[in-house]
Amino acid sequence: MIGRLWRRRSLVLTLVRRQYQLRYRQSFIGLAWAFIPPLATLGAATLVFGEVIGVDTGKTPYAIFAFAALVPWAFFANSLIFGVPSIVNADSMVRRLAFPRAALPLSSVGAAVLDLVIAAGIFVILAYWTGLGIPATAVLFPVILLIETVFIVGIVLLGSALNVFARDVRVAVPLVTQVWLLVTPVMYPLDSVPAGLRFWFQLNPMTGVVEMSRRVIVDGRLPDAGLLLGTLFGAVAVLLLGYWYFSATERRFTDVI
Amino acid sequence: MDVVTVRDVTKTYRLGVGRARVREMLPPPIDGVVSRLLPGWWNRNTFHALEDVSLSVAAGSSLGIVGANGAGKTTLLKVIAGVTEPTRGEIAVRGRVAALIDLLVGFHPDLTGRENIEFFGALHGIGRRTMANRAPGILEFAEIEDLADTPLKRYSAGMGARLGFGVLTALDVDVIVVDEVLTVGDGDFQRRCVQWLQGFRAGGGTLLFVSHNLALVRDMTERVLWMRDGRVADDGPAGKVVAEYMRELESHDPQRLGFGTGPAWRRIRSGGTRRWGIGGASIKGVRFNEHNGNGAPLELTIAYEASLDDQAVFLVGFSDDSGREVGGAASTPRSLNLPRGEIRCEVASLPLRSGTYFPTVAILSSDGRVRDRWKLDRAIVVDRNGEAEAPDTFGPLAIRATWSGR
Repeated sequence: MIGRLWRRRSLVLTLVRRQYQLRYRQSFIGLAWAFIPPLATLGAATLVFGEVIGVDTGKTPYAIFAFAALVPWAFFANSLIFGVPSIVNADSMVRRLAFPRAALPLSSVGAAVLDLVIAAGIFVILAYWTGLGIPATAVLFPVILLIETVFIVGIVLLGSALNVFARDVRVAVPLVTQVWLLVTPVMYPLDSVPAGLRFWFQLNPMTGVVEMSRRVIVDGRLPDAGLLLGTLFGAVAVLLLGYWYFSATERRFTDVI
Repeated sequence: MDVVTVRDVTKTYRLGVGRARVREMLPPPIDGVVSRLLPGWWNRNTFHALEDVSLSVAAGSSLGIVGANGAGKTTLLKVIAGVTEPTRGEIAVRGRVAALIDLLVGFHPDLTGRENIEFFGALHGIGRRTMANRAPGILEFAEIEDLADTPLKRYSAGMGARLGFGVLTALDVDVIVVDEVLTVGDGDFQRRCVQWLQGFRAGGGTLLFVSHNLALVRDMTERVLWMRDGRVADDGPAGKVVAEYMRELESHDPQRLGFGTGPAWRRIRSGGTRRWGIGGASIKGVRFNEHNGNGAPLELTIAYEASLDDQAVFLVGFSDDSGREVGGAASTPRSLNLPRGEIRCEVASLPLRSGTYFPTVAILSSDGRVRDRWKLDRAIVVDRNGEAEAPDTFGPLAIRATWSGR
């Protein structure tokens, strides 16, 4: 699968470009829409969790605290929302053309990378505007994003393949991402989770991703080695699972879709 | 040298019933275990789209494929083009294949002609810049230069189809697989597509060509494969196989006329529109006289049963091989006061050009509702090759005119 995909890498890039060409066509403000979702989520989260509920985030302003986790979270959620239905959405192509099917989910992740870059840019502006700045440990942020990408690719390969056989998967995606957001310490710190539950929270690779992101781009501390290894292990395991299932069932997509 | 080799290929499909596809969902090796433990469930609702099909195609030659709907023609093309894998058997293709199973697959209505051309190139492994260089040639072939930067959704159907075929001319491939896509566009454009395909072959390319347009198959290919129920019924020189196939299409096989014979999926696959109506009266059978299509009268006898006393109108219509209704005739209203009866319809002459036409018979109620409408499997083959296809007519009707003046 990797070999065929590599020979058609231009297809993945073209699919990414096509999604961008299409996403804002025939709209009033066009690309400005890429900036609105992260800002709107941040505003609502700050209002509810920062002001109404009053989550304790120590010295860090709540907006910075939440946004540092929302940046990698939105990358995950966008990839899932566009990636899982990507093969079924392209059913007419899958039925009639021979091309590496993995190009479809991978290009959805690729399109989410551009949203990630925009959100990260907003974060940098916000950090300097509030006077906190960006700590030197932020150079490790790409490493964390790489681990997250490994996890995302695994889950999107698995989800998009399963969705071909059981459309329940696509229907469940919005619900799953919503619940997943609540059980991931994005809007609240992991420390506020009761000690007895914390172990279970840490089984979720996204917990590691958002916790470590916050540490390197806000707190200026190195990520916890145990959490880093655990998250890396979880991400690689999910990638292997997704890759195995996708390549084992890929040849049946045409006949079932 | 053989470019395409197909050896003992069987393709089995499972019929979905609108639920999740559990059997396909199981990855190997779990599927193997389950198929051994529960063979009854595992093999339920399966059918063979292809059964032990073997063929080979030499480089630079052309093969036509004919057969009824559901005979496995498109499945065979898909297997050769690598769109789907055979359940059993081997496929070997030397060189690069492009398959036009359908026009405009992967094209997006919101993207412009040029953007769609680039995307089509990427689907076939051609880089963006290379495809951008070839775009002017495609647009020129399709004669849509001035629509290059217009979204596809603003194109007329014919313009879209031109683009859909035009992109094929830019692919640098060894084998082209075409499934019934030459019936698009106007006559002029069709001729240009045929000319291009002939040029492709002259340059050493190999062509696999599926069509219901038997005259075109005979012109385009020297060898024809006839598929019937997933098997190769015949494989030989184009003229001979097409003639045999035409004879079968015209044959009076009561099984092919009868409703309710054969597996149910065959009806579903042909669109589920073969027979429908509100009931009250139903067609029991249709008989034909021998008809050679050369202007001789055609006689149909419709046997019917009626369960209520109403005025009814009988219809006999004809559709061409793409399903388009060409025309028909309606009877005067007549009373259905007998439980069963027979109506005879005599068509003095069918003014149709060469081709395959499918009759539809129907009984309408007095208020115009369809009681029973039956699209028959049996084809009327009009073959005017004795007098040569009249070059002075176009469209499905053979309209003869005398021109004068200066």
